Amino acid sequence: MNSLFDILLKKPLSDVSLQGLLFITFTLHMLFVLFTIGTAVLALYYFTHSWGGKRLQELRWDKEILRTFLGHKSLAVVLGVAPLLLIQVRFTVPFFTGLNLVAPFWMLIIPFLIVAFLSFDALGHKMDVHPYLHLAFGIIALIFLLVVPGIFVASLVIVENPEAWLQIVKKDYQLSNSLALHWLLRYLHVLGAAILFGAAFHYFFSTKDEREKKSSLLKWIVAGMLLQFVLGIMLYSSLPEKPDNITNVSLMAGVIAAGLLLWVIFLNLNQNVNLSLKTAVPLLLLILIPMLLARQSIQNRKLFPFAEKLQANALTYGKKLEPYSHEALNQYKLDLKIVYDKGETIYSKSCAFCHGENAEGKGLEAKNLRIPPEDVSAIRTTRPYLHQILIKGVPGSAMPYFTFFDRYKLDGLIDYLNKKYHVVGLPEPIPVKVSEADVQEARKIYAETCSLCHGTDGRGTKLSRGFKPHPPDFTVFSLTPERAFKIVTDGYPGTAMPPFTNIKEDIRWGLVDVVNGKRMR
Amino acid sequence: MEFPIFQVPYLGNGMTIALNAVFHVVISHGISIGVMAMVVVSEYLGLKNPSEDWENFSKTLLKPTIIIVTGLGAVTGVGIWFITSALSPRGIGSLLRVFFWPWFIEWIVFTLEVIVLLTYYFTWGRWTGHRKRYHIYLGLSYVLFALASAFLITGILGFMLTSDGWPWDQSFWSAFFNPSFVPQFLLRIAGAFTLGTLFSVAFLLYTFQKDPFRKEALRFLSKIAFLSFFAVFVFSWWYFTVVPSAFKTDIIFSVLTSRFSQQPELFWYANVTGAAVFFLFALFGLRGSPTLLKILVVPTILISIGFVTEFERIREFIRGPYLMPGYMYANQVLLKENPFLDEKGALKGAYWYNETVSKPDVTHQGAYLFAQNCSVCHTIGGINDIRDRVRGRTEDGILVILKHAHEMVPFMPPCSGTEDERRVLATFFYQLSNKEIEIGAPSRFAPLKGFRKNE
Repeated sequence: MNSLFDILLKKPLSDVSLQGLLFITFTLHMLFVLFTIGTAVLALYYFTHSWGGKRLQELRWDKEILRTFLGHKSLAVVLGVAPLLLIQVRFTVPFFTGLNLVAPFWMLIIPFLIVAFLSFDALGHKMDVHPYLHLAFGIIALIFLLVVPGIFVASLVIVENPEAWLQIVKKDYQLSNSLALHWLLRYLHVLGAAILFGAAFHYFFSTKDEREKKSSLLKWIVAGMLLQFVLGIMLYSSLPEKPDNITNVSLMAGVIAAGLLLWVIFLNLNQNVNLSLKTAVPLLLLILIPMLLARQSIQNRKLFPFAEKLQANALTYGKKLEPYSHEALNQYKLDLKIVYDKGETIYSKSCAFCHGENAEGKGLEAKNLRIPPEDVSAIRTTRPYLHQILIKGVPGSAMPYFTFFDRYKLDGLIDYLNKKYHVVGLPEPIPVKVSEADVQEARKIYAETCSLCHGTDGRGTKLSRGFKPHPPDFTVFSLTPERAFKIVTDGYPGTAMPPFTNIKEDIRWGLVDVVNGKRMR
Repeated sequence: MEFPIFQVPYLGNGMTIALNAVFHVVISHGISIGVMAMVVVSEYLGLKNPSEDWENFSKTLLKPTIIIVTGLGAVTGVGIWFITSALSPRGIGSLLRVFFWPWFIEWIVFTLEVIVLLTYYFTWGRWTGHRKRYHIYLGLSYVLFALASAFLITGILGFMLTSDGWPWDQSFWSAFFNPSFVPQFLLRIAGAFTLGTLFSVAFLLYTFQKDPFRKEALRFLSKIAFLSFFAVFVFSWWYFTVVPSAFKTDIIFSVLTSRFSQQPELFWYANVTGAAVFFLFALFGLRGSPTLLKILVVPTILISIGFVTEFERIREFIRGPYLMPGYMYANQVLLKENPFLDEKGALKGAYWYNETVSKPDVTHQGAYLFAQNCSVCHTIGGINDIRDRVRGRTEDGILVILKHAHEMVPFMPPCSGTEDERRVLATFFYQLSNKEIEIGAPSRFAPLKGFRKNE
């Protein structure tokens, strides 16, 4: 981990400011996350409760509760933007690594949220379906919704435990048993908090003065808190490292506030009065804030020294790159001026490194290729055939296909090559005079030897079409006589074309004449 | 690289982001801005005329709109960020640092937008009499917040194509108010109104059957559709005049891809046909012909979504080799880092490779070099399959192509690494394309799953 480094660009704010903002915005976000999950759980519970009690016609608390889902989930999503931004800036490497190691699940968060949100919104609005269908719909939506905090918690567990990263990768991206247990308890703790805060919200804002409903929701509040006590103790003991004093003090403050709330609830129950908003809200905040402080403190303790190291490494790496900076920017400036819209530019950038600036097949890379690049200036062919070579390349050689240029551009390239090298057209006559006897001999050699690969008509044979690269079609493709003569004499290295130095020079010229004479267009 | 690498098998990283992004743009522009603006305008017409029909139209249009905006729009917007966080951490991490403040302000704007929208929805019918006007103001303020949100995001999107002076001065202002910022913002607004009116017309046609209101509403909405579509033309033209020619030259290819690049006429036919259908739609709308519109509205909406897809594809594609022009290549390698890696090696400092790959043979080295250099666009066994791209080439040919990828293909970033590393990658590609080795569509380079060597 010593070689990992932070992103090289400067942070926009001091670490302390980022940290403070992260805590505030995360608290706001979590509050609405808890309301959202709590609302979903309670809505489904009250639906089954009404249905089981055969009160589906008169008692639809689930609808009243779900009506708030739209607001909760919307605010949970938008309020999540800031903490996500801040943690990605403050703990860039740990956070991105954490989510990356659970990436397949992380990518599912969005589709899962969409299914859950749309389903709950539909159930909460005017969708009246058969109870079985309603239940099925609700259960699926709830499962999708509940998976999401599980994924977030998993990535945060990884974020906070950099020393476990390699182990996780080596275990095929699975958490070790102890981290998995910690994840499970932490996840359940979030769900417990959601029940507590969701029930509290609806106790105050969805019940008016309905005693039965208030009493039922109060049971959820108490159950949520008791669950949190139990889960909290287990979670505490599952922490990968012994917590520091700040964490312990925060946790203790939260526990005391929770105890106070329980005490207030039992006091009110004895006096048969409702829980007061003015008493409950400060206490609930006193539970939430210290708990989140403790979470933050555990995270900070693990990540502060690591983040410092990452920043120091970034400085070192930045210094190593500095000598290249000026040249890279200059090159970028030059690259921005190069527009691949003219045949000349395309040739010079995309072809010349093999075929050479003068198109003689002697580019920078020619020496590195077993099959030398063709001397483009010597090509005499048709426009469609050249276009075919450009869009298919030459299989079995280095020549790639160029369909990443549209036809307008390739037409421009062909125009350029034609203007400069006359590549579209018939080959010139051979520059030497060859006797009729030598021409006859050349014809005979072509028929007996060359045609085995090139075909009697020059189009190739069934056998040679399987060669890689296969021979060109002489009826539409030829080369200048000089180039053709060179290939007949020396062969084409790396291909099936052998040298024919043993044949008399005049007959070789005769062969060139025979071959180029097969051009039909 | 300092981050582990995750690749989306089969679909590929680019397509995954694109699918989510197009879906989001259609909703965020077409519905969050466009339809919501129509809701507010209809409410205003209901009050001004006064007309119960407009009021009812506004109210019934609002309900599905709010569910889509909050359930799909907001989530898919954050979704783009989620997906890029997993696929392009260094890229998104760097953008967050440059654009921290717009992003942070976006959080405030986004939150206010949702609060105002929810208030607007839940107070419908409750603010009556003289308070109705305030309700309309509330709706209007929502639209303004939505526009502010688009304003903030456009600065970042514009930067990714026209980073202007930022690579040299690293000044936030030159990054945010980059040359394509204003035309792109106006184009997005015009597009939003075009889509918004189309969706509203579809809603009107398939839910409100009552004439003469239907005809009146159709005429009114078609006028806005016509004007906004005309504005789309003007702002598109403006937008593309400020895009550097080096990028602009790849527009046709970006739309047609390798599959159709040799029939470039298709680009013009498709666009002209699309525009013609749209104008035909607006014409029938202006005449208030509901029957014809019922037939045309669905293809017109599909064409409009096609235009959105086309624009986003062009914008994302033509920036080609760069994720942050002048600073970072699309594969997250920094411009100044590329020569460093060429000299010192891409594998040497690769923490995740060195610590997790136990068998540093050609396959594993190649799989890492592919993941680092190429997986932003290519897959193994999926869309833009690298095996298809190199099939038929010789090993030495592949090596040369890798060495010159950046100059040969104008929209490809350079393949970073030493000559030896490129040779390893060339061998890896050659073996893959010739089925000498096979690997399952990889999401990770370690452990490399489905690896098989064919003798």
